Amino acid sequence: MARYGMVIDLDRCTGCRGCMESCKIENNTPQGSYWMYVFRFEEGEFPATQVRFMPRPCMHCDNAPCVKVCPVGARYKRDDGLVATDWERCIGCRYCEVACPYGVNTFNWGHPEEHYYFDWNAEGVAPEARGAVPPWDNPSLDEAYGPEERHIAGAGQAKGVVDKCTFCVQLVENDSDPACVHNCPVRALVFGDLDDPGSAPSRLLQQKPSFRLLEEAGTEPRVHYVGGNPPTTETRQIEAATAEV
Amino acid sequence: MAQRATRLPYGVGSISARWIVSAVLLAVVAIAGWYGWSREISQGMIVTGLRNIGPMGGATWGIDVVFVVYFVGVSFAGITVAALIRLAKLTALKPIARMAEALTVVSLVLAAFAIMYDLGQPLRGIVNLFRYARPQSPFFGTFTLVISGYLIASLVYLYLDGRRDAAECAKAPGRLQWFHRLWAAGYRDTPAERERHDRASFWLAIAIVPLLITAHSTLGFVFGLQVGRPGWYSALQAPAFVLLAGVSGLGMLIVIAAVVRRTVTDRSHLPDEVFRWLGNALMILLLAYLYFMVVELLTNIYTGAERERDVTGQLISGDFAWIYWSSVAAFVVSLGLLIVRFVRKSAAVGLLVTAGVLVNLAAIGKRYLTVIPSQTHGTLLPYETGSYAPTWVEYIEVIGLFAFGALLLTLFAKLFPIMPVKDGDAA
Repeated sequence: MARYGMVIDLDRCTGCRGCMESCKIENNTPQGSYWMYVFRFEEGEFPATQVRFMPRPCMHCDNAPCVKVCPVGARYKRDDGLVATDWERCIGCRYCEVACPYGVNTFNWGHPEEHYYFDWNAEGVAPEARGAVPPWDNPSLDEAYGPEERHIAGAGQAKGVVDKCTFCVQLVENDSDPACVHNCPVRALVFGDLDDPGSAPSRLLQQKPSFRLLEEAGTEPRVHYVGGNPPTTETRQIEAATAEV
Repeated sequence: MAQRATRLPYGVGSISARWIVSAVLLAVVAIAGWYGWSREISQGMIVTGLRNIGPMGGATWGIDVVFVVYFVGVSFAGITVAALIRLAKLTALKPIARMAEALTVVSLVLAAFAIMYDLGQPLRGIVNLFRYARPQSPFFGTFTLVISGYLIASLVYLYLDGRRDAAECAKAPGRLQWFHRLWAAGYRDTPAERERHDRASFWLAIAIVPLLITAHSTLGFVFGLQVGRPGWYSALQAPAFVLLAGVSGLGMLIVIAAVVRRTVTDRSHLPDEVFRWLGNALMILLLAYLYFMVVELLTNIYTGAERERDVTGQLISGDFAWIYWSSVAAFVVSLGLLIVRFVRKSAAVGLLVTAGVLVNLAAIGKRYLTVIPSQTHGTLLPYETGSYAPTWVEYIEVIGLFAFGALLLTLFAKLFPIMPVKDGDAA
């Protein structure tokens, strides 16, 4: 069985945040919720400063702290490597959120349907949309996935539950790449079977030295980075994306 | 007139105007707290000051969790006193056994409420925790050992310990007779019955002591096993939770015992010796806890990893310094008061009550410092520094819980003697 993972080429990333945008549309994430987050970093002292970018999806850890602490098994590890959240079972205790060292979890603080950026039902939208399926009406987000047949796709499914990056399980199960990978204009994100030495991400890992984030935490992430360095304690974030509800 | 002749002990069943006024006031505040919760249920937790850790720069666990930990800590009192009486043969503490047990039961009920306040889906919480419980989660122990096991054991102990007095009270005719008969459940205080009953309480006390350690440790593990939050991952976390639980529990028990001595009874039934014992026990636990605090502080500032030191820096000279140092001051002042009392060898209930209140305030401060800074200032990736300020909803929920707890205790004191009526010989 394929065991999926992602390789992110930091040499290629231009920090355009297009992946964040496509993720929001594909997964219908409400306001303030970024399943994919792109850091823009500044390093060094003026005039020798350098700007770097680092996309941060969920790491889909093999030894995931969030899976360990979930009291009801709503957060679980799938055989194909994905860490999934069953939004039908989640009780909203947010233990996964405090346990995660990467800060990838998002909670539905209010009624999600009241917290979207754009009202598709507003006057004049329908002719412009020309019959496109709006994100909130995407039928693939409400289906059950995996041999477990659990509801794990899409954001904003219920008030008071946690969700996070699913690696776009609704696309991956239909042999497609996640939305962020599709949408990256410079192919900085590469997705595939890390167990297959011939897959695109595996070949990239063979070519370039790589690292994983917070390796010392022992979480064994399935997201690898090539072509750059991990952030240090000297790294400062600039231009943080606004995340408010 | 006939009723006055057979009046129940310790003011049970006799309701004064003053009692009604205070009960109504407490009920109003408790209902206000539930109104806060209703806002949370209808609009979502957006009405709280909580937000996501990371990009949103918030704390996802706030004062609801702080008070879960605090109330479970206070519940320490009942088991300790019961165990001391039964196992260490400390018969001097007998007069406060029942109020200690009642305090344990009430504070566990409050902790259960605080957990519900913290859940995004409280109803699912109740159902799914039974359907899908995972023992691997540190939360499992909080729900099973602490809220269920501890609560049931304390209720059984309270019940067994009260049967003798229930039988005594059931002799008096009145509106509450049915209740006391129900509690006594056929108990008639024959020597054989008394012996069997004492044996049961003894074994229950033995069974409860390991619960005392494991339950409070489990709550420490909720934090101490998390490598992703600087300031939490520490082997000291679980034992420190046990100790601080003892400090806040005994402190609260002193306050309640003093209130009972003031309102319900007098010195003859609640002698100075009880307070001397409580004061000494609190002093020893407080000394041990302060030692833990120094060890923790020294480890983190001397050799802590960068992020650990950042969080510790926030405590001693950053955003949280005022809470940290006022908690430390409250602990040190209480210790001073307890030592003064110890040296003077008098009961000095006034000093003890001051110390009891101070250590509880400091315990709340310390619980806050455990829960919040590691979330807002402890992200391992370079997110912006977060912030957290509770909203009125969270404040009113917590104040409502205190009022509800006080209401439960005052109601209990009117239904059943808060102190033993017939002093037992066995122990």
